[in-house]
Amino acid sequence: MNKTQLLQGTLDLLILRILELGPNHGWGISNRLQQISKEGLKTSQGSLYPALHRLEMRGDLRSEMTASQNNRRARVYTITPLGRKRLGVETEMWEAFALSMRRVLRETQ
Amino acid sequence: MIIARLLAAVRGLIRRRQIDGEIEEELRDHLAREIEFHRSGGLSQEEARRLALRELGGLTQTIEATRDVRTIWLDRLLRHTKHAGRQLVRNPIFSSVAVLSLVIGIGTTAAVFTVFNVVLLQPLSVAEPNRLVILSPERRGQEFVFFNPVYEALRAEQRTLSAVAAVDDEPFLPIRFEGERLPTYARGSVVSGTYFPMLGVPSLIGRAIVPQDDEAIGTAGVSECAAVVSHDLWTRRLGGGSSVLGRHVDVGGIACAVVGVMPEAFDGVQTGYRPEIWVPLRALKDRKDLASRTSAYFSGVIGRLRPDVDRPEAEAELNILYQHISATNASAAGEESAPAGDDRLRLLPGAQGLDSVRRQFSEPLWIAMGLAAVVLLIATVNVSTLLVARGRARVHELDTRIALGATRSDLIMQLAIEGAVLTCAGGLLGVLIALWISPVLADLVTIRFPPVALRIHVDLRVLAVALGSTTCAVIAIGLLPAIPLTRRSTSPKPGGSRSVSRSRAPIDKVLVVAQLALSLLLVTAAGLLLRSMIRILAIDPGFVPDRVVIAEVRENRPEPSSGAVDPTTRRAQWLESYRRLEGSLQQIPGVRSVALSWLGLFSGADVRSQLFDVTQPSEQVGARTDYVSSAYFDTVGMRIIGGRGFTSADREGMPRVAVVNQALARSPFARGGLLGRQIVLDEPDVKDAPFTVVGIVADSRFNDLRETATRPMIWIPLPQAPQAITSIAVRSERGDENTIVRELRRNIPSADSAYMIRRVVTLTDRVNETLKPERLLLGFASGFSILALLLASVGLYGSLAHAVAGRTREIGVRIALGARPGNVISMVLREAVVVTAIGLAIGLPFALTLGNALRAYLFHVQPRDVMTLTAGCVALTTVALFAAYVPARRASRIDPIVALRED
Repeated sequence: MNKTQLLQGTLDLLILRILELGPNHGWGISNRLQQISKEGLKTSQGSLYPALHRLEMRGDLRSEMTASQNNRRARVYTITPLGRKRLGVETEMWEAFALSMRRVLRETQ
Repeated sequence: MIIARLLAAVRGLIRRRQIDGEIEEELRDHLAREIEFHRSGGLSQEEARRLALRELGGLTQTIEATRDVRTIWLDRLLRHTKHAGRQLVRNPIFSSVAVLSLVIGIGTTAAVFTVFNVVLLQPLSVAEPNRLVILSPERRGQEFVFFNPVYEALRAEQRTLSAVAAVDDEPFLPIRFEGERLPTYARGSVVSGTYFPMLGVPSLIGRAIVPQDDEAIGTAGVSECAAVVSHDLWTRRLGGGSSVLGRHVDVGGIACAVVGVMPEAFDGVQTGYRPEIWVPLRALKDRKDLASRTSAYFSGVIGRLRPDVDRPEAEAELNILYQHISATNASAAGEESAPAGDDRLRLLPGAQGLDSVRRQFSEPLWIAMGLAAVVLLIATVNVSTLLVARGRARVHELDTRIALGATRSDLIMQLAIEGAVLTCAGGLLGVLIALWISPVLADLVTIRFPPVALRIHVDLRVLAVALGSTTCAVIAIGLLPAIPLTRRSTSPKPGGSRSVSRSRAPIDKVLVVAQLALSLLLVTAAGLLLRSMIRILAIDPGFVPDRVVIAEVRENRPEPSSGAVDPTTRRAQWLESYRRLEGSLQQIPGVRSVALSWLGLFSGADVRSQLFDVTQPSEQVGARTDYVSSAYFDTVGMRIIGGRGFTSADREGMPRVAVVNQALARSPFARGGLLGRQIVLDEPDVKDAPFTVVGIVADSRFNDLRETATRPMIWIPLPQAPQAITSIAVRSERGDENTIVRELRRNIPSADSAYMIRRVVTLTDRVNETLKPERLLLGFASGFSILALLLASVGLYGSLAHAVAGRTREIGVRIALGARPGNVISMVLREAVVVTAIGLAIGLPFALTLGNALRAYLFHVQPRDVMTLTAGCVALTTVALFAAYVPARRASRIDPIVALRED
C-alpha cells in the first residue's frame, strides 16, 4: 500500500485525534498530521478538506469562520461530543484490528 | 445520537449557500499559509505557490470535491425523486388510480376535519379564550336555566371570576335604521354590559357596549340604547362608512343609536350563530321580565376566570353560592324550595363559546370523522396493494439495479420515494378538494333556525391533520411494499422466473382482505342508517305535508304610546286581521285552503295546558294546546275520526268548541268518552268558560317524527280565543310552490302590515330539518361506503390482475393440459371469493361494534340488523366478483403457446 494513500476511515480517525487536542484550522491539521506521523503518514491535502466537511455533516465536528492574518478568514474546526465518542469507539476498533494484524503477520513469518 | 446527526445534516443543508462561498475562502487561506510555510523554507514566491497548489491537488478540483461532500445527501434525494417521477409518468393508469385513491382518502379526511374543527375545536376570536367558562346550571341532573335575579346575585357576590356576562340571542330581531321604511329581521344578541369587557374584544370603529350602557332607558344619562353592529351588517346594509356612528336605529320598538362596529373576525359566542347587532339587556328587556324569578331569558352565561384561579376552584365557589342563591330565589318566588343538592352549577370550558350547535352535532361529527379515517385507511391500503402488485412486476428491474451495484438501502429509498411522490401529489390535490367541498358539508351542520353558514377557516390544525394523514400514508405506502420486494431482491432465486409455482408472498392478499374488512364497516354503517332513515320516512305523520307551504310570521303591532292595549280592542284587531289574511290568501291562484295557527306543526314550540272537566275541577290532565283557524285540519291533512272538525260557524259568540286527538280521547281522563264533554283550559285568557269537545282527530306527530307515544293534545278555534298567530299554512291545488311562496311574501304584509315574515318554507322541509343530524350521518356514511367499495374493487382488481399476469405460464400449462376457459375463470373467481370471505369474516365483528356506536341515530333498527349485515356482505361479494371477472376472463384467454414462449 502506498503510504500516502490512506484509507478513508483512517484519515477520519486521525483528524478526530488531532482535533481532540484542541480546535484547529485545515492547514494546521495537515501540518500537525505530518508532525505527528514524522512524515510517515503524509495526507493528500486535497482529500483533507472533503473529509473535514463530511465529518461536519455527520455531526462529529463543528466549524466556525474566524479572523486570520491579512484580512483573511480561516475555518476553525472543533470536535463535538459525538465526534469524541466516535473517536473512542474507532480507536478501540483500530487497535484491535492492528493487534490481530500483527499477530497474524508474526505467525506467518 | 440519530437526532444529532440529522440536525447536523439539516444544518449543512440550510447553510449550504453560505458555506459554498466559504469553502473557497477557507482553501485560499490554506494556500496562503502553505506558501508562507514554503517561503520560510527558502523557496521563491513563484515556486512556493506551485508546490502548494500541487500538494492541494488543484484549487478548483478541491473546491468541487469538498462541495460534493455537502451536496451528496440532497443530491441522492433529488436523483431518486426524478427517477420516481419518471417511473410514475411511464405508468399513467397506475399512477392516476393511486393518486385518485389518495385524493379520495386525504380529501375526505381533510374536508370532514375542516368542519369538525370549526364546530368543535376552534376557539372564539376573543382575548385569551382559554380563560372563559360557561356557567351551566343543573336541576336534578338535568340542564336548567338562569333566572335573571339569580344571575344578578351571583354576579354581585362571586369572587373567582374577573367578569361574568349574560347573553340572549334573538334570531329575529326587527330593526329599522334611520332612513329605512320598513323594519327587517337581523340576528341580534341582547347582552349584559359586561359582555364586551369580559370578552376583551376591541371594536373596529367607535366603541363597544360598556356597563354604563346597560341601564334602562330613562335612568340617569341614558336616553337612547347603545347598539353595536357586526362588520357584515355594517358593510352590507349600511355601506361601510364611518358615518354609521351615531346613526339612529329602531330595535324592536326601542330607540337606539349605533356606537360601534365590531371587527370582521368576531362572531359572537355561539358557533354557527353570527350576531349582526348587539344591544344592552336592560334597554331591550322589559324590567318586569328581568325581575321574573320563574322565567329565563338567557341563551347563556359566560365568565372569565381570574388569573390566579383554575376552573375546579371557581366551580367549587360558584356552586355553593349558586345553591344558596337559588334557594333564596325559589322562596322569594313563592315556590317550595327545592331540596338541597337538587340545584348545581357546573363550569364548562368556554374557549369555544356556548355550545348548542356543538351539543347537537358533536357526536355525528365524531362518528363522521371516524368513518373518514376508515376511508383514508382503505385508500392507503389500496395504494399499498397497487404498489406491491406493481413491484412484483418490477422484480426484473430491481434485480438489474442490484446487479448494477445499487444497495438495498438505495432500493428501499427509491421505492419509499415513489410512494412519497404519489402521496404528496394525492395529499395536495386532496386538500384542494377538501377546501372546495367543506363549505357544502358545513351547510349540513348549521343550527336549525335561522340558517347561518358556518364560517369555514382553514387553520394550522386542518393543515396539520392533512399533513399528518399524508405523512402516515407516505410511511405506510412507501415502506410496506418495499419490505417484501427488497427481501426478495437481496436473495434472488436463480431461475425463479422460469418456475410455474405459485409461491407468492401473501402481502397483497392481506392488504385486500384488510380493505374488504374496512369496506364492510362503512357499508354496514350506511346500510343501518339508510334502513333507519327509510323507517323514519315511512312513519305516517298523521298529516299530509305534500303541497303545504308554511309562512312563519311574527306579529309586530305598534304599541300605543301610553298604557297597555285594552284586551277588547286587541281581540277586535286580531279578529279583523284573521279575516283579512284568510280573505287575501284565499285569492292566490292555486291555493285550496288557508289555515292560521298559534303554533302550527313542527314549529319547535310545545305548550301544554292543564285541562279539567267542568264537573270535576280536581281531576286535571296536561295536554298540548294550539289555537287554529277553521280550515286547519283540512289544510294540513289531519283526519277527523270522530265527531266533526271546526267550521266557519265556530265564531266568536257561538258555543265554544274544541277538538282533541286520539291520545287524549283514549287517556284515562276520557273515561266514558270525550265527545260532548265540557272542558276547561286552565289558561288566564280562556278559563272563564268551558269548551265542548266536538271532534277527535287521528294521532299525528307534532315536533318530531320519531316521537313514539303521541301526547294528548287539544285544539281551540282561534276566533273563539284570539291569539297572535305565528304560522300560516297554505295547501295548494297544484305543485308550483315557488309561486305560492312568492305570493305569500307579497300578500301577507299587504293584508296586515303588523305581520313580519320570518321565512316561508314547505312543510316537508320543516319536517326534514328535524332530521339533520341523521341526514348528515347518512350522507357521510353512504358517500364513504360508495368510495370504499370503489377503492376495494380497484384494489382487488389490481391484485388479481397482477396475480394472473404472474401466473401466465402456470395457466398456460393448465390450458395446454386441457383446462377449459370456464375452469380457468372459476379458478380465479374462487380465489377472489376466498379473499372476500376472509375479509368479511374479519370485518363482521367490527361492523357490529360500529353498529352499536350508531345506536342513538337508529330508529327501529337494531345495531346488529341481520338484513343489513347480509345485504352488506352480498354487496361486497358482488363488487368483488365484478372486479375479479376482468382478470379472470383475461386468464381464460391466455394462449398456451405464447405463454410458454414468454421470457
